[in-house]
Amino acid sequence: MPTLVLKTLREYRRSLIGWTVGICAFAGMYTSFFPQIRANADLYSQAALSKYPDSVRTLLGGLENITSGAGFMQSIIYQLFVPLLFTMCAVALGAKAIAEPEESKTLELTLTLPLDRKRLVLERFAALVVGLLGVAVVSLLVVALVGASVDIGVPFGRILAAHSMVFLLVLFFGTLSLTAGAATGRKAAALGVAGVYAVAGYVVNALAPNVEVMSWLNRLSPFYYYSEGRPLITGFPIGDALVLLAATAVLVMTAVLSFDRRDVGV
Amino acid sequence: MVETEGLTKFYGKRRGLEDLSLEIRAGEVFGYLGPNGAGKTTTIRLLLDVIRPTRGRLRVLGADPRDPGVRGRIGYLPGELALEGRDKAGDYLRFLAGVRGGVAKGRVEQLAERLEADLSVRMGKLSKGNKQKVGLIQAFMHEPELLILDEPTSGLDPLVQQEFLSMVREARTAGRTVLMSSHVLAEVEHVSDRVGIVRSGRLVAVENVAALREKAVRLVELHFDAPVPEDAFRDLPGVRDLKVEGANVRCTIDGRPDALIKAAARFTVVHMVSAEPDLEEIFLTYYSEEGRHAHAGA
Ligand SMILES: Nc1ncnc2c1ncn2[C@@H]1O[C@H](COP(=O)(O)OP(=O)(O)OP(=O)(O)O)[C@@H](O)[C@H]1O
Ligand SMILES: [Mg+2]
Repeated sequence: MPTLVLKTLREYRRSLIGWTVGICAFAGMYTSFFPQIRANADLYSQAALSKYPDSVRTLLGGLENITSGAGFMQSIIYQLFVPLLFTMCAVALGAKAIAEPEESKTLELTLTLPLDRKRLVLERFAALVVGLLGVAVVSLLVVALVGASVDIGVPFGRILAAHSMVFLLVLFFGTLSLTAGAATGRKAAALGVAGVYAVAGYVVNALAPNVEVMSWLNRLSPFYYYSEGRPLITGFPIGDALVLLAATAVLVMTAVLSFDRRDVGV
Repeated sequence: MVETEGLTKFYGKRRGLEDLSLEIRAGEVFGYLGPNGAGKTTTIRLLLDVIRPTRGRLRVLGADPRDPGVRGRIGYLPGELALEGRDKAGDYLRFLAGVRGGVAKGRVEQLAERLEADLSVRMGKLSKGNKQKVGLIQAFMHEPELLILDEPTSGLDPLVQQEFLSMVREARTAGRTVLMSSHVLAEVEHVSDRVGIVRSGRLVAVENVAALREKAVRLVELHFDAPVPEDAFRDLPGVRDLKVEGANVRCTIDGRPDALIKAAARFTVVHMVSAEPDLEEIFLTYYSEEGRHAHAGA
């Protein structure tokens, strides 16, 4: 692996471990609650849940069929909390790629090494991909293992498909954070742009079925492509995945080009 | 080695550097002097392609510093060196060496020993001076053709400063070129061949240190074993403010002490004191005049 990728992963190590532990603890714990919900199907049935106000139900993604394994995983694990935590992780790491070391002035020495600036951005991006992939793999295994131990009844292939979509979603937001940082050199800009886009994207996607304007805005929301395909039920949605990947690729190119042409550390 | 022409950098509306034309020759040590905010760091960052010029031309080692290959032949110490994190200083140096394609075996340890740097400490926990030592080690470790050092002595104790200066001398002996910035001439005059002064973003003077020293006025005191006649020292070239009191002679000399020494040689000299010339002072007066000319011209 290129030296700078390894070095970047070393810089990421502590936050990677922290986020992995957090995401796995959360996902594992909630998955392990499934038997209780299945056992009390009446209590948690759709009718029972319908007493929540509509708006809350929409934001939580409908809470439909949570007494079936796939419905439970969709609503509890993959609808909001895991993507949310994992996005926060990705955005934080994305800001560490360029903006944070630039602000703390540690980037200056790296920049004066015999490394092309384009390559610097690409290697930082590569480290982001590897780091997020690590978190995704570990949390996938935790969800799959805990799921199997409580007989959740969702095949591994489907969980893998859902988890792959989480990975692509958070890779997009991590890259957005990296790109905003590479273009501006400001950590606040990196966190702000990616954070606002994530929250707005989520809300737009949640409200889209009910609000007219939101449904076309929704085409700009990564969460639309993330959730539209229902990978837990129908398998890996290649088209949606390609949209997320293409958007990420455009961001990386923007990062490379904008970082290549500006003053660093001013 | 370094060539700039009309090099100008504005930070938005703020002037960082204006119209710098400078040549640094192969094998010389160039002292780059100026007060706070003069434009030293701006110049150096331009040379390393950290920032880009607003106008003007620059060549470093015969090429554009955007070329990563050029940066591979430079050793750089940033003026605002930041070393952070939980990595040990030694690991960080290994990383830098790795990207640079490796350094000679034992080189880092040898430099660390000379500068008395402890490389087993986490970087975030290093004191300012110790960070500076790590910065110096990484600049020198790959034995680059060109060393660009922004305020290299800041934070170093006097003994380490001396060690650093001898490292610069060795680099020069080995045929390398050094550009180092400082606030005071005294810090660099003993190793520099030439010095340049920047002020408010403009280069106001470039001078040869040896020539400067020759021009320097210095106070000399001679003590003889018996009273000497004043006539023997009067009207010697370059000798001024002559005072002869019995066996003691005091005067200032302007440039070479040759005539005075030859005149004194006719008597028995028991003691001689020659104050080191204060180059700083001449230089300051010299460049404040130059500065005035420049302003008048502008
Ligand atoms: N990032 C920046 N944004 C705006 N102005 C800047 C920036 N960096 C430097 N300047 C301005 O450019 C001028 C030159 O600054 P520079 O840092 O080159 O000075 P210097 O000679 O290195 O000073 P010092 O001895 O304090 O290190 C100063 O007036 C400074 O205020
Ligand atoms: Mg400076």
